[in-house]
Amino acid sequence: MISAFRTFADRLLGRGDATITVPSFDGALKPNQILEKAETIAQFEAPEDLATDGKALYIADGTAILRLDGAATTEVRRFDRAISALCCLHDGGIAVALDGREVQVFATPSASAAVTFSDPSMNAVNALSPGQQGTLIATNGSTARPYRQWVHDLMERGRTGRVFVLDIAARRVRTIASGLSYAFGACAAGDAVLVSESWRHRLLAIAPDGSQRAILSNLPVYPSRLSPAASGGFWLTAFAARTQLVEFVLRENAYRRRMMAEIDPEYWIAPKLKSGQSFLEPMQGAHIKTMGVIKPWAPPRSYGLVIRLNADGLPLYALHSRVDGVNHGVVAAAEMDGALFALAKGPGRLLRMPLTMIEQELRA
Amino acid sequence: MSDIILALRNATKLYAGVAAIENVDFELRRGEIHALVGENGAGKSTLTKVMAGVVTLTSGTMQVDGVEAAPRTPLEARHLGIAMVFQENSLVPTMTVAQNLFLGQERFYNRLRGIYIAAQQFLQSLNFDVTPTATVGLLGAAKKQMVEIARAVLHEAKVIIFDEPTATLTPEEKKYFFDLVRDLKRRGVSIVFISHALEEALILADRITILRDGKHVVTDDAANFDRARIVQAMVGRDLSNTLYGSRKTTVRTAGAQVLTVQNLKMAPMVKNNSLSVFAGQITGVFGLVGAGRTETFKVVAGVLKRDFFHGGEVILHGKPVRYRVPAPAVRAGIAYVTEDRKVEGFFETMSVARNIYLGLLAKLPGGRFFLSRREADKVGRIWVEKLKVRATGNDMKVVELSGGNQQKVVIAKSLVQEPDLIIFDEPTRGVDVGAIVEIHELIQRLADEGKAVVVISSYLPEIMALSDRILVSRQGKVVEEFSALEATEEKIMYAAVH
Repeated sequence: MISAFRTFADRLLGRGDATITVPSFDGALKPNQILEKAETIAQFEAPEDLATDGKALYIADGTAILRLDGAATTEVRRFDRAISALCCLHDGGIAVALDGREVQVFATPSASAAVTFSDPSMNAVNALSPGQQGTLIATNGSTARPYRQWVHDLMERGRTGRVFVLDIAARRVRTIASGLSYAFGACAAGDAVLVSESWRHRLLAIAPDGSQRAILSNLPVYPSRLSPAASGGFWLTAFAARTQLVEFVLRENAYRRRMMAEIDPEYWIAPKLKSGQSFLEPMQGAHIKTMGVIKPWAPPRSYGLVIRLNADGLPLYALHSRVDGVNHGVVAAAEMDGALFALAKGPGRLLRMPLTMIEQELRA
Repeated sequence: MSDIILALRNATKLYAGVAAIENVDFELRRGEIHALVGENGAGKSTLTKVMAGVVTLTSGTMQVDGVEAAPRTPLEARHLGIAMVFQENSLVPTMTVAQNLFLGQERFYNRLRGIYIAAQQFLQSLNFDVTPTATVGLLGAAKKQMVEIARAVLHEAKVIIFDEPTATLTPEEKKYFFDLVRDLKRRGVSIVFISHALEEALILADRITILRDGKHVVTDDAANFDRARIVQAMVGRDLSNTLYGSRKTTVRTAGAQVLTVQNLKMAPMVKNNSLSVFAGQITGVFGLVGAGRTETFKVVAGVLKRDFFHGGEVILHGKPVRYRVPAPAVRAGIAYVTEDRKVEGFFETMSVARNIYLGLLAKLPGGRFFLSRREADKVGRIWVEKLKVRATGNDMKVVELSGGNQQKVVIAKSLVQEPDLIIFDEPTRGVDVGAIVEIHELIQRLADEGKAVVVISSYLPEIMALSDRILVSRQGKVVEEFSALEATEEKIMYAAVH
């Protein structure tokens, strides 16, 4: 009874769980146009993930793994199902998640034999990363919804995300965290594992004993995959930015239920990987168009962001493609040969940014 | 007719045997703007108070239009054509603007509507945006200052003395003020003004007189001065490089996020304001008066309350907090060093040690039933030494200290609480240059120690000299962020105005 009264009061006064606020992009997350100005080196139909072994860059595009050779790509292998995650292993092997339900590990990118992991709780495996002692870390966004229905999971306020450690030699799957609000991306950091928890806008460090610690919380974005940076620290991608409107919808249960039941998911008030495709889309920023220009700080329906983290997980700087940009829905980043490659899933672009260029732009 | 409208010869004023000014010679020419410059305690205010009849000379003479005069009251000075605009407002807060303007000029029957119309016309002629029917107590500092200035102009004084006229004005209002002063000069009015902002003296004044320790140091044409020469003459040492030094070439790296303000609302001043503050950095917050900077951070510190309905969020160390009074904020590690030290900063009739001790008591939950005089003395002694507060003793009353040292007491009162987040609101307003350097060094030291430091200032050189990152506030919210490496005065001002 008291709880119900408190909930009512919170909703009335806009406080507690009913507070609809979003942190600003400031400090290390201060906006720029670096991601938007990045060179597009290839365009794909259905790109999903990036991986590098330090010598070559691999791209998961639909059902195929492609290797980047200069400006061209070469198909390495093809599967019967869509690839939902990809990673290169320390021993030269490669691992893929297929349709979010199965993980296959190959000794080399072209090897025919595979070690297959298939667990009933694997439903939306969306990121893979090499772990300690020949293990593989996998994040499973949701056990309730398949990978392609991530937006449904957000609208249902899903809390069924998991993190697995796959022991390749022993062919065993161990769950190190569960009940996460969409686990999407992981990376080993010493003994611990860093995990992005997208719907709670934070980065968790999971210790070997399973204890969890938020090392970066209350982000203004939905964080996704992580990859190591050559000079220490990490690259964290974010596929969309939070807005007060979406936060509001996430607190309005009845409205959300009706929206999900009656409206095409394409036009939901929800984060998207790309926007501006149809006049039916909400939040296109028309009302903040001034003198023919959409203000870049308008509430974005889609956004592009890569955050550089130091070894402690604190942000150093960020690369942006803002509301008036195109390179939105960044889901993966990988550093190779002094350049950062980022995959903007919205427009299907593979972007390249030399680190020297990034430093120059940040200094300007 | 002599060119000299007002002159003081060998002017000496003793307070309890101590000379506030000693054998000072001063001449004010007809229709000139004369700046009086000096550190706090240099005797500027005393000299001008002698001219305005607030205090009388112990020895020496004063001449007005070549005739010896010794005004004993401000009214007598006004009859001689001398008016003074005081640093502390001398307005009656419960009366309206119009009533304050015509105070002392009442006739047998005053028609209220008449004085409102007259006041409206007069204020408009000065280009002052002040409503004559507004109660003065409800006006902001800048508008009160405007009323003070308007009153002096209204009295048709031949000599107008301004004591720190621009301390509370925004850059735009300062421009209006400068235009007004130049207009007064064109009308033949002589102006004496005291300012700690040396650029103002250099820009506005025809001549500059510098006082140090109650003695006259130099008087010369403003064209013959530059900042370095003024500072050298004021303090007897070269401070120009340490005060608002050269452009920053490095900034501190941000540590953990200490404070996040999200969509904060406090009508009508704060409108959907969002910002972050990081450990180990100085975050400068610049904006014009009315930009909602002070109010935002007062909400953070529990001095003011955010809007009751959908007022936004304050997140401290990752946890939402909402303080209705300052005590829990102090206990959570937030210190707010007020911009108005005389009203909110200290108890002026209490000793230095007791004031600092009060800061410590504020941190203790529920306070203390028994207070320890020994502990108060000990704490006071430590902080007086640490911050180099120039007081004759721990038991010296704060009111007896100079502005700079009073400010150090206010800062000590906050730092004794060992806060993680320290908010300095106009930390060097009305403080002499010597103390400015010391306060700036202290602020830098706090950031070096890993504290999250916020400096709210309307003075651009101060913001640029101190900050690692600069937030610009306009109309109730932060509109722009600059790294100290990329910021220029033009960029910051553009963001603050447009």
